[in-house]
Amino acid sequence: MSSFQALSEAIIKADQKIALAEMKNLLDAGTPVQEILDKGLILPMDEVGERFSKGTMFVPQMLRSAKIMQVCVETLKPSFQEGAISFKGKVLIGTVAGDLHDIGKNLVAMMLEGAGFSVIDLGVDVSPEKFIDALKTEKAEVLAMSALLSTTMPSMQATIEALKKEGVRKNVKVIIGGAPVTEDFARKIQADAYAPDAGSCVVEVKKLVKNAG
Amino acid sequence: MKQKIIPTLAPRLKVLNREQAEAIHNAALEILAQTGFRMEHAGARDLLVKAGCKKGTDSWMTMPAKLPQKALATAPRTIELFSQSGKPAMRLEGDNCYYGTGSDAIFTWDLETGRRRQALLDDVRTFARLVDGLEHIDFVMSMANPKDADPKNIYVSVFAEIVKNTDKPVVFIADRGEDIAQIHEIAALACGGKDELRQKPFLLNYSEAISPLKFPQNVVDRLIYCSQNSIPLCFPSGSNAGGGAPVTLAGAMALGIAENLVGLVIHQMVNPGAPFLFGPNVSALDMKSTVVCYGCPEWSLTQAALADMRDEIYGLPIWAYAGATDAKTVDAQAGAEAMFSICTGLLSRANLMHDVGFLEFGSTSSLEMITMANELIAMCKFFVKGIPVSKETLALEAIDQVARDGSIFLTADHTFDHFMTSLFLPSLLDRSRFDSWKNAGEADMYKRCNLEAKRILEEHEVASKPSKIIEEIDKVVAKSK
Repeated sequence: MSSFQALSEAIIKADQKIALAEMKNLLDAGTPVQEILDKGLILPMDEVGERFSKGTMFVPQMLRSAKIMQVCVETLKPSFQEGAISFKGKVLIGTVAGDLHDIGKNLVAMMLEGAGFSVIDLGVDVSPEKFIDALKTEKAEVLAMSALLSTTMPSMQATIEALKKEGVRKNVKVIIGGAPVTEDFARKIQADAYAPDAGSCVVEVKKLVKNAG
Repeated sequence: MKQKIIPTLAPRLKVLNREQAEAIHNAALEILAQTGFRMEHAGARDLLVKAGCKKGTDSWMTMPAKLPQKALATAPRTIELFSQSGKPAMRLEGDNCYYGTGSDAIFTWDLETGRRRQALLDDVRTFARLVDGLEHIDFVMSMANPKDADPKNIYVSVFAEIVKNTDKPVVFIADRGEDIAQIHEIAALACGGKDELRQKPFLLNYSEAISPLKFPQNVVDRLIYCSQNSIPLCFPSGSNAGGGAPVTLAGAMALGIAENLVGLVIHQMVNPGAPFLFGPNVSALDMKSTVVCYGCPEWSLTQAALADMRDEIYGLPIWAYAGATDAKTVDAQAGAEAMFSICTGLLSRANLMHDVGFLEFGSTSSLEMITMANELIAMCKFFVKGIPVSKETLALEAIDQVARDGSIFLTADHTFDHFMTSLFLPSLLDRSRFDSWKNAGEADMYKRCNLEAKRILEEHEVASKPSKIIEEIDKVVAKSK
């Protein structure tokens, strides 16, 4: 058990070297891989999220913890039987059609990964059709859309309308965000959730997945 | 290759040139030599006559310029104050700046009810505990003139409550020779004895002459007591522009400095080398309400000027104020006025700044106001550090790497390694997006400071003194009744 704690601490302090070494110790000791993922990687990232919400941790620290967690997950992957790895949920993310801004979207993606979600990033200028195609193949629980320009915000509405038309709206929870986006707008276009910043996006997505399950 | 170290310029403020400083100083000397002053303490009169002062009628005296010069030469350039447990806390000299609360407000802004009420002895405890838990508030004053304390020994009971509730240095008020001796006794108990107190003083007495140019018996008693016992002291008369002093700031400063110099001369004659914190309080009288302003630019300007005079002429650490307001509540005026004096005080390197946390020109104290000031001080301290320029801070490697990766700096290792020191990270000033702020309860700065003050009071633990010491302190208080 103490090794889980050592790995957790390394994730929280964002020390990659120690994290990898502790993970190797656990693997060598025959610890089940899913347990390493759940207790040694996802649990400390929950703690990181908690500290961030309380204001005792900052974005660069959270991102670095998330990055190291990802490195650890990559190292673990060969030990899993194909498809056996279980995450908290799958999130499809992209910047909407007509919009090429990706800093905020990337930030959200990194934070979601760090929180234990499997994230499929569709990039920028993502059309409603592209979102729908990906949704069908990936079977994600959450669709996250970003826009920086007020002129591209209507693409969010267009995507939600297209989801309805295709009959897949019920299968997915939609969350939106971005500088000009407001809670009112989210309500108006019938998104399921809105997050004003990357930190609260993680909190909202956790809620969405919990309610869906 | 060895890197060249580039020195960092620490931003600072200058408001007087050397000619101005000398002219004000010479005017102060001229006031003492020509107009003179009223000395009501017979012992001090005798001392002054022996040293070369001339006696007039009605306890008026004049002083030759050589006496202040001599006193300035023997007064120490550094006053070091310690915590009550003996750790170095405040080294008053040169560019070092420290902030603390004020004393004797009649009212306080109640933390629970959000209303103004008369201050009680319990408030002295609360303020001391809060200050003990605030990083950037370095010393404690009573903040209250408690309604429920017996006026006969009010300063003794107030001092006892302070030392029971903080380990930080204390600036204290006394009334006369007797109660200051009792306070001295309590102070010695608090830090382990009179010798310990002399070696590692944690207290500083605030005494003041009455402007213009009047030196009451009890005030000079305290001055002499502190000098004899090497208790650090400040002696700032209230030479406020348009009230106790001329409305023109140069004249008000000259008068205040003259009064301060009389105190310094007696102080250094009694015990050459005893610690004396230099400087008057030169604020302005409001020309509508006639109150002495605590949020005005004049006070900040005169103390910045005094800091220049310290650098040009006196060399002694100086007394000052900051973080107070004339506003009745912790509102936008309070924030603006507090920040003005906190910032200019630090930029001009005032050494000891009191009155942090006052509303209503010192009539009302506020725990929220001190909590807010703590954050404003942190903000100013960040500013005054300037911009360090080095290989690490120029960050050429990080620029090269991030630009090539097509990433942003937020995720860069360089950011992780440096953001804590290269950015100011506020805890009370809110920078969240509107909806986050709204969902978190729409708290304004006053509300956030209220919650933070409550949190500190609940969570912060003050280093406690042994119960035996507390009993001894209580005995001294009982005896003083």
